[in-house]
Amino acid sequence: MGTFDWRVIYDNFPFLMQGLLTTVELAVIGITGGLLLGVLVGMARLSSRKIIYYPATLFVNFFRSLPLLLVIFWFYFLVPLLAGRPMGDFFSASVAFIIFEASYFAEIIRAGIQSISKEQMQAGYSTGFTYGQTMRYIIVPQALRNMVPSLLTQAVVVFQDTSLAYVIGVKEFLRSASIVDAREMRSLELYAFIGVIYFVFCFTMSKMSKRLEAKKGFAK
Amino acid sequence: MIEIQNVSKWFGNFRVLENVSETIENGQVVVICGPSGAGKSMLCKCLNGLEPFQEGDIVVDGISLNDPSTNLIKLRQKMGMVFQRFELYPHMKILENITIAPIKVKKMSQADADKKAYKLLERVGIPEQAKKYPGNLSGGQQQRVAIARALAMEPEIMLFDEPTSALDPEMIKEVLDVMIDLAKSGMTMVVVTHEMGFAREVADEIIFMEKGKIIERGTDVSFFKNPKSERTKEFLDKILLV
Repeated sequence: MGTFDWRVIYDNFPFLMQGLLTTVELAVIGITGGLLLGVLVGMARLSSRKIIYYPATLFVNFFRSLPLLLVIFWFYFLVPLLAGRPMGDFFSASVAFIIFEASYFAEIIRAGIQSISKEQMQAGYSTGFTYGQTMRYIIVPQALRNMVPSLLTQAVVVFQDTSLAYVIGVKEFLRSASIVDAREMRSLELYAFIGVIYFVFCFTMSKMSKRLEAKKGFAK
Repeated sequence: MIEIQNVSKWFGNFRVLENVSETIENGQVVVICGPSGAGKSMLCKCLNGLEPFQEGDIVVDGISLNDPSTNLIKLRQKMGMVFQRFELYPHMKILENITIAPIKVKKMSQADADKKAYKLLERVGIPEQAKKYPGNLSGGQQQRVAIARALAMEPEIMLFDEPTSALDPEMIKEVLDVMIDLAKSGMTMVVVTHEMGFAREVADEIIFMEKGKIIERGTDVSFFKNPKSERTKEFLDKILLV
């Protein structure tokens, strides 16, 4: 194996950073898209109308019961089929992440809203608020505070999960390292380096979520 | 005026209200008491449509709650409600708790709503708490804010669902004093409570409920002096021990 040679990082730095950028892009798309879709699905899970509740519940239970890797594969084959033309691996991966992560975000949102007592809803109604006003002014602001730590934790998970896009050829951070490795044969240095970067990103995000959790403690 | 006409309510097969009828005139104070599980709170929440009922009707100032065209949102603006566990909004300061409904529902200006809120806080005796969050207030203070919040919508009727049963004993009086004041000002009130001192002082009628039914009603004198049913006697003996 010989001695460590960190020059491999230096020499391939721009290429590796390009990979990191792809990882960040994919994570941002997965998080924002997943969150937006998750809000809709989470609200639908709270609906008393069966036609809204059941499809949303099916969606959530279905995707939460599948391995992400499988979902990424599916969409890799499914998306071009649905679109009728090749859409590229990055696009397929984005769709897979949005849909998969939405099922997790939806549950966080549903649980957050349900964590607010029924009486708060009644208190809102009793002062003449509509359903929408009660949700907007009373329930959602309180629910959000309860949800923020879980949402951030899930965001960290999405960031880590993006490495699975490796398997369909997306040149994200992990794959870019393995491409360099195939040429330079410096596995230890390369994988140690990207490990450190993953760690710094995720650890910082977790710390932020911990701090927010401590801050949110408004007196009950 | 509230007319409760033969109201029944079920949870599945379990009947929580059974043929309840009662008329509450404007300016009257009606106290509802009875053992837990008697349906008192349920009846109270049916009055402003927070809980649906399956049979009978409730008519508030000529507006039927049963009528599908009735706008419950509008109706609730005439009826304030105070809950057992206060239910202040924990993420808003006391002042906002009181002003949010007048501002959002009645489109009152911020300045007018603030002025009104301070007046109401003055009335319930805690104007100095306006800038605090509910969590920093005692239970008695929170309940007084809850009363002020309901009054901010200028309701014609006030509903109280066990307003003092979640309070420490020494805080009960400060809340009852506010309620007695309110009763004496001529407010129509429906109060679910076991505070018989309160009932004696201001109630025009006292209703005793058990198992979803009204089993006795009377003016304060007749109710306390010579209850007709054995069950009422037994109940009064228990709660009047102190």
